[in-house]
Amino acid sequence: MIPNHPFLCFVTDEILHPVEQVHRALGGGAAMIQLRHKSASGEQLYRWSIEIRDICRERHAIFMVNDRVDIAIAADADGVHLGQQDLPAAEARKLLGSSKILGVSVSSPQEAVDAENESADYVGFGHIFPTSSKEKHTVPTGPEAIGSIIQAVRIPVIAIGGINPENAHLPIAAGASGIAVITAISRAEDPEAAAGKLVSLLELNRLR
Amino acid sequence: MTMKTIQIAAESHTDAAVEPSRASLPRLCIVSSGREPDSSGTMLLALMERLPATLSCIVQIREKQLAAASLLNLSRRVKAMGEASRALIVLNERIDIAAAAGLAGVHLPESGCPPDKLTPLRHNMLIGKSSHSLESALDADMRGADYLIFGPVFDTPSKRRYGSPQGLDKLEAVCHAVGVPVFAIGGITTENAQRCLSAGAHGVAALSLFNDNVNVSGILSNLEQVLYR
Repeated sequence: MIPNHPFLCFVTDEILHPVEQVHRALGGGAAMIQLRHKSASGEQLYRWSIEIRDICRERHAIFMVNDRVDIAIAADADGVHLGQQDLPAAEARKLLGSSKILGVSVSSPQEAVDAENESADYVGFGHIFPTSSKEKHTVPTGPEAIGSIIQAVRIPVIAIGGINPENAHLPIAAGASGIAVITAISRAEDPEAAAGKLVSLLELNRLR
Repeated sequence: MTMKTIQIAAESHTDAAVEPSRASLPRLCIVSSGREPDSSGTMLLALMERLPATLSCIVQIREKQLAAASLLNLSRRVKAMGEASRALIVLNERIDIAAAAGLAGVHLPESGCPPDKLTPLRHNMLIGKSSHSLESALDADMRGADYLIFGPVFDTPSKRRYGSPQGLDKLEAVCHAVGVPVFAIGGITTENAQRCLSAGAHGVAALSLFNDNVNVSGILSNLEQVLYR
């Protein structure tokens, strides 16, 4: 279900309406959507999730819910994306069953190996470049660090953190299976065009 | 007896684990302070140490400030502690974490995921729901909640953000309108608990009442007498 060519994942921006953002990102060709909203109520998350799930199905895109295994199952999302502070991947897998997609954020080869052993379907690795999206207390890894994760696991590695149309070719050249962005789309003047530009960059790299 | 009650009774008959039917739910719900700094659960475990071994109660872990991994660890600690008591341990909001920890149930806030959407995760877990209006109480009942916590009935600092107290009249209206047990919350004391029962409440829920750790054993045994006599 995860595309076997470099793809774009859009993670929703906490300060904007998620459904509107998803429309734009999918319009530009994003293949994966992750609903990430830490402060919304369970009921609100559920309502957004069923709406986004339906839009994603129409567009043949994958819909992931951040952190909330309960909401992902309630809304029949395609999967869950977990951070290191969220439920352990092995526990989430027991609840999700084998058919759902499980992604885990990692910041080291060891965390990537652990995630793969706990039946993650992909790992998100970053932050690659400096980013303003989340409070980060560590320095950016740089695109060259992606190689150490790719060597450590067999599952796809998705690069995240500070990726934009100017630097998106670097993580792909380093072997990433995809890129994940928030503000490069959500804060762009024309979010759909920004997503489209990132997707065409990925396709260009694929043809090389 | 509604269809649902019959179903639950049948399930509990076949299930080796003791799953309480709605009618036999404890009459006291103890809500955690919301001030645990980490997953060690120091305050909640100290409170549970003082639970009389005979006291049947629900202990709701409500520590919204903790991330999911910490909530899972905390839930496992509290569950292990509760094995020796007659406490049913439930977790606020997150049925996924409650299931992973093997807890007795989940308690959904009024704005939580609708209970009927959680069926795939529910199995034999209890689902409670908070309600601050007759309308939301009826909705939660219709959507399959096993019990409700309604309030704030009396004035209490921890519930002022939900508006002025609902009072005993509204509690009574809710208790008569829904088919599930209702716990009164908000400013509950050993003195006013009986008035909640008289209004039709199945039991009471409290948080601030147990902050005073010095006298908590006395408060608990007084409440036990009021609720179970």
